[in-house]
Amino acid sequence: MSTDVILLLLRIVSGLLLAAVLVVLFLALWRDYSHVASGVAARRRSYGRLVALRELDGHTVATGETYPLLAITSLGRAPTNTVPISDSFASSEHALVAMRDGQWWLEDRNSRNGTMLNDMPVTAPVVLTEGDVIGIGQARFRVELEP
Amino acid sequence: MTASLVRPTTFRRWHRETVLLGLSWAFLFTNLAALTLLRPASLLTHGFLLAVWSACAVFGRRVLHQRLPGHDPLFFPLVMFLSGWGLVLIARLAPPFAERQAVWLLLSTGALLLAASLPHSLRWLRNYRYILLLGGLLLLGLTIVFGTNPSGQAGAPELWLGLWPVFFQPSEALKIILVAFLASYLAEQYPALRAKGLEGEAPRLALSPRVFGPILLMWGLSVIILIWQRDLGTAALFFVVFLVLLYVASGYRLILVSGALLILIAGVIAYREFSVVQLRVDIWLNPWPEADNRAFQIVQSLLAFAAGGIFGQGVGQGSPTYIPVVHSDFVFAALAEEWGLHGVIVALVCIAALFTRGLRTGIQQQGRPFRALLAVGLSTLIATQSLLIMAGVLKVMPLTGVTLPFMSYGGSSLLASFVIVGLLLRLSVAEST
Repeated sequence: MSTDVILLLLRIVSGLLLAAVLVVLFLALWRDYSHVASGVAARRRSYGRLVALRELDGHTVATGETYPLLAITSLGRAPTNTVPISDSFASSEHALVAMRDGQWWLEDRNSRNGTMLNDMPVTAPVVLTEGDVIGIGQARFRVELEP
Repeated sequence: MTASLVRPTTFRRWHRETVLLGLSWAFLFTNLAALTLLRPASLLTHGFLLAVWSACAVFGRRVLHQRLPGHDPLFFPLVMFLSGWGLVLIARLAPPFAERQAVWLLLSTGALLLAASLPHSLRWLRNYRYILLLGGLLLLGLTIVFGTNPSGQAGAPELWLGLWPVFFQPSEALKIILVAFLASYLAEQYPALRAKGLEGEAPRLALSPRVFGPILLMWGLSVIILIWQRDLGTAALFFVVFLVLLYVASGYRLILVSGALLILIAGVIAYREFSVVQLRVDIWLNPWPEADNRAFQIVQSLLAFAAGGIFGQGVGQGSPTYIPVVHSDFVFAALAEEWGLHGVIVALVCIAALFTRGLRTGIQQQGRPFRALLAVGLSTLIATQSLLIMAGVLKVMPLTGVTLPFMSYGGSSLLASFVIVGLLLRLSVAEST
């Protein structure tokens, strides 16, 4: 074989090796980032919040207080609740908003005066959707969920 | 995390590192073999280069595997690949320097392993930052007074400290020290920089001297380097890295805007005052009327890119040596001529991968501002330096005389780049202390 042919072969091999480096790098980065992405998606929780409302002269206005929804959010008059309510009609442990199977549920905890969802009494656990209004005593909370 | 989950990932990491190092070795071997066919007389030199590289790769991989389990698997093989490629380029372009560069590679690998595995290297950088910074500035001051240029040309920038037979460029060491200093300073200011007013209110500290004081200081330092040493590249590099760090630490977009304005102002003033800058900008705007004298280098570089085509001429078969001092600043043009667009893309992807891995390391260390900022700063340093010289060689930007990290000929540059990667490797290990 002449030198030229060997040089050409070596050139082709070196080009292929460069391409192989590219492929290995791509695969390594791809695998790592897809691994990270799946980790992030698994840890991602769905966010929501309760916006406190008040009735003033027949209008409903937001008081400016908001409470982020936790996986288990308790509402009631006791200060240990996630959302403490200073209303004499509220029981100390009044209601619960909880995440189950990817949905937010509202549950009454056998309160004396009952929990209202959109002015209807809650008798069994019920799924919340965007814009629902929870009523406890005189207090009102609008549910805002991130899509 | 349980042990059963850890073991497969460490195995895969080990595997990836080995595959990449093996491919790099094969690439190095192929190209050195082709070069030996063309120049049978330098068989021994090429054998020496390959042996040194292999020793560095094997020893480095083993030490990292033992001392730093769970380190990022891409940093080390990428760096070895690029520096091996650099060895081939230097053996091809400037054969008398090749063995010297191989010895520097040996030293640099040692420094990388030390920086990566010394137990308290990060804490030292942080605790002794003022001493380090003073030392760095002192070295720079010494360069201003006693600086020399190894090439011995009159009028060339005198950026080296000569301790015969070794020449060292203090600005390379200063780069690392400065990034470490800024990272620890900004990490201390982090709570103040990130403090927000009440919801919706604009951050109150946006215009405070706390933010603009350091910017002006750094700008002043860069300008001093520019004026005293006429080292356009290093000045630009320092300032860009500093802006990026400050932006990452504070998140104010205003910093980027005002920084860009300051760079423009400095550029305009430098263009009017300094003949070097004027020359660089003029031959960037239109090199062709002076292709035979002042713009000879950049025109030859463009011709080298054109001659390379898509797959290149093959190692040793092009003629990149028409470019003056091709082995240091213009090594990228030689790469383009002999490996073509294919090689250029691979080199770019490797440096981009280093940069993204560095940023990812920063994200991993998000809870610790010093480490996050150090990782971002060091990887920005490498990326900006590469970008400055690659764009300069391609006439996308005015030429600034910085080296291409890992590939250009130059001991202090290689050493500094390897120490940077050593620190990044260290940062990539999520540890509790």
